Formats: sequence, C-alpha cells, structure tokens
Amino acid sequence: MEMMTMTKTDPLVRAAGISKTYRSGGADMVALSGMDLDVMDGEFLSLLGPSGCGKSTALNIMGGLLAATSGTVTFDGRPMSGPSRDIGMMFQQAVMFPWRTTIDNVLLPIEVFGQSKKKYRARAEELLSMVGIEEFAKSYPWQLSGGMQQRAALCRVLIHSPKLLLLDEPFGALDEFTRESMNAELLRLQAHTKATAILVTHNINEAVFMSDRIAVMSARPGRLVEVIDVPFERPRTPELALTPEFAALALRARTVLGLP
Amino acid sequence: MTSALRARPTKAGVAKAEGDGSSWWISVGTILIFAVAWEVGPRLLEDRTLFPTLSDTLSGLVRLVTAGYWWEDLTSTLLSVVLAWMIGCSVGLAAGIALGTVPFVRTAITPYAIAVQALPKIVLAPLFIGWLGFGPQSKIAIAVVICFFPVWIDTMVGLALPKANEFKLMQSLNATRAQTFWKLQLPSAVPLIMVGVKHAMLLAFTGVLVAEILSASAGGLGTLTKEFSSQLNMPLTFAVVVVVVVIAITLVSIMDVIERRVVFWSEESRSRKS
Repeated sequence: MEMMTMTKTDPLVRAAGISKTYRSGGADMVALSGMDLDVMDGEFLSLLGPSGCGKSTALNIMGGLLAATSGTVTFDGRPMSGPSRDIGMMFQQAVMFPWRTTIDNVLLPIEVFGQSKKKYRARAEELLSMVGIEEFAKSYPWQLSGGMQQRAALCRVLIHSPKLLLLDEPFGALDEFTRESMNAELLRLQAHTKATAILVTHNINEAVFMSDRIAVMSARPGRLVEVIDVPFERPRTPELALTPEFAALALRARTVLGLP
Repeated sequence: MTSALRARPTKAGVAKAEGDGSSWWISVGTILIFAVAWEVGPRLLEDRTLFPTLSDTLSGLVRLVTAGYWWEDLTSTLLSVVLAWMIGCSVGLAAGIALGTVPFVRTAITPYAIAVQALPKIVLAPLFIGWLGFGPQSKIAIAVVICFFPVWIDTMVGLALPKANEFKLMQSLNATRAQTFWKLQLPSAVPLIMVGVKHAMLLAFTGVLVAEILSASAGGLGTLTKEFSSQLNMPLTFAVVVVVVVIAITLVSIMDVIERRVVFWSEESRSRKS
C-alpha cells in the first residue's frame, strides 16, 4: 500500500498499526483497525470515507488527542505524547467563545500558551484581513455569519503557525457556496504557511480538489483501504473540477469506496 | 409606589420597539384601576380596620418614614440582606466550583445536595435562632442558608455547559485544567450563575424578613410588620408591605441591569433584546 513517492522526504506524522477499540456493554467495537499511514511534511492529505469508517478517530489519534489502543504515532521524529503547540485543530463548528471578540478568539491559543498577546495582535489582524474579515475584529462571533465564523476559526488555527493542521470536516456545516470559497481560502493559506494538513471529509470531489493524496477508508471495522495520489498542480482553480482527469480520479475514489 | 411604576418602562420600552405602542397605556391603565379599586373597595366594608384604603396606607407610609425608628429598621434589614446575599453567593459559588470541577466531591456530595434541595429550608430558622440568639447573626445565617442554594446548583450546572468540541479545542491547545476552567468553563457558567445570584437576592430578602418576623428583638422591617399587625395598625402594616415591594422591585431592577451588562453575549440575553 505504501508508495515509493513517499520516501522522498521524512514524514511529519507516521502512524504504524494504529487501532482503536471501544468497549461498550461487554462487546468490543473496533473503530479503527491496524492503520499504517505516513503524512509527508507540507502535504495536504484527506481521510475520505463513509461515517463510521474511523476517519475522525484516525485524525484524533494522529493529532495526539486520543490514545490508540495499539500501534504507535511518531510526530516530527518523536513519539507522539499528546497535544502539541505544533498542531492546530478545526472542527465542523467554528467553536468561537461568544464572550470574546473575534480577535480575542483568534488570540486564544496565544493566551493558553502563555505568550504575549500584544506581540501577536498584528499577526491576528493580518490573518483576519487575509480572510477578508478584518473589520469584524472587534465584533462578537454571534454578530458574524457562519462562514465568517469559520474564517475566524481558520485564523485561530493559524495564529501560532502549527506544523500540522487537523481539519475535522471544517466546512461541513456551511452551505455549498460558502464551503467552496472556504476551501479555496484554506488551500491558499495552507500553501502560504507551508503547513501540513489532514482533512477529514466524506465529500469525494472536495477530497480530490484539495488533496495531494487521499487515504480512502471503509467501515466495519474502520480501516484504510487505499491511498490515491492526486497529481494536479497547485494552485488549483475551480476549472480543475471540470477536467476529465479530475472526473477520472473522482471515479477511481468512488470505486475504491465501493460505490456504484 | 413611584419607583415601582418606574421599574416598568424597560419592559414597556421593549414592547414599543416591537411596534406595540399602546402597551405603555395598558400598564398605566391597570395601575390606575388598581389604585381606584384599592381606594373605593375598603369603603364598601362596614369596618375597614383590617383593609385600609390606598390613602390610609399612604398616610401610614408618611408616618412610617417620618418615625424615629424608621432608618434603623430599614438599614438593619437592608444590611442583613446584602450581607447574607454576599455570603450566600460566595458559599454557593465555592461549593458549585468544588462540585463542578472535582468529580470525587461531586459524587460524595450529590445525594446530600438533593436532600437539601428538597428541604424547605425555613424549617431550620428556629435552629439558628436557638444557636445564635435573636440578634442579626441568626437573621443573616437563616438568609444565607436559604439563598446560597440556587447559586450553588447553577454554578455546578453552568460549569458543565460547554460543548464537547469546546473542551476539545482547549485540549488540542494542551490547556491546563486551570486554563480550561478560567477561559472556558467559568465564562460559560456566568449566565446561569447570574440567574442564581438574582434568585439568591430575593431569597436572602425573604430569609431576613422571616427571621425578623420570628424574633421580635431582631429589629428590621419584618419585626415592624409583626408589631403593627399585632396592634391591628393596618395602615402601617400595609405601608411596610409597600416598602418591601418597592425594595424588592429595586433590587431586581439593579440585578437586571448588572446581568445585561455582564452577560450581554449570552444567547438568552440576545434573544431578549431582539
């Protein structure tokens, strides 16, 4: 399953035989079974699969937020020992604290890390203007639309320049149009910051459009089926989605997923 | 009475903003009808000793506030209420934080909490009078016991309000338990704590009045009502009741203003505004 192209740089994350079993009512539920996956430095990797395939579980284990039942995770050459400042996470919901202004929400990681908020204020403003919501810096999140809140969440995850972005269906709750523009925004910022990204999604076209590689997963038990290379050049434009090559790759992903 | 009237405009103002301009007149109208009924009603009785008219009550009010004992009794009640409320809120907050953040304490205390919740706490009043005497200490102790409970429960429940993803965000930032508490749990709990604190204010007032009514030497407005009613001096009894109403409305209004300032961001307070 491992491809030759993966050996050209060291992986940022190396998952070796990671499994997760939940015990409920005397019965074992295997959420993830023996997954091997290397995530290269700077790459955009998607975990694609139906619900129950363990993609979120895999994401959380690789991000140090969840302990694997068995197997090991190496991050940046060292065994993963839990959450790290080098990792940032985005959720399906923006998860903005309503008592904080937008900019104070963006600066939350800096506060938690015990660093000077003053020093990062300029960077926060810069990030907010990169996603086009700089005039809402002093507004409260509930005064913002869902899309704008996710833009702010994107700024928050980037404020401390993490090496690894964990994206758990970050725009899944947004409408199709907003979602598309947010994806473009995400790709632009990821290229700009050279961060590595792992995206959890169940949207085939989104996975093909965003990723350098797609790890296709399947359910019962959750496992990795195949890793598909996505060779398209960057930056990617919406026209890409209309090309036959794009359609062919999407079809290949469908086939691996076992969809008719 | 005037400040009772003045406590209304906030609500009338909101109704007006919704385009219902007539509601202000409805409030004034009902108050006028009430005043007239109060003035005329008792006159229809043969003997109005037990039911003084509005004007009897108002003249009683004037006699009350010009009496020598008035300020002493008023300040005694108000001071006890504020003191008991502050102690009750502190105790409630501390207990709520202990139970809301330390699972062991929570498991150990919850059965007792349920028992205490069910208990009509006023039954403890004679105990406190027995232990602490008839003075202000027992008055304050009774009020504290009555008022700390909602703050306790609301703090405990409030600390558990953050959603799973909010905790996860803090976890992903490798936040310490203290950071999660100060930056997520406590702010999330504030709207509910404010509800408890508001409730506690009126409960403290109730507790102090009951204690004053129970112990003649305690002084304060409760003692005054009891003395006046035992003398069948109804205009003065009613006057004290009017004073109590005015104080209660003022306290609630002050708490409302504070609440709106503190938790302007909460969903509940936003939905009230719109």
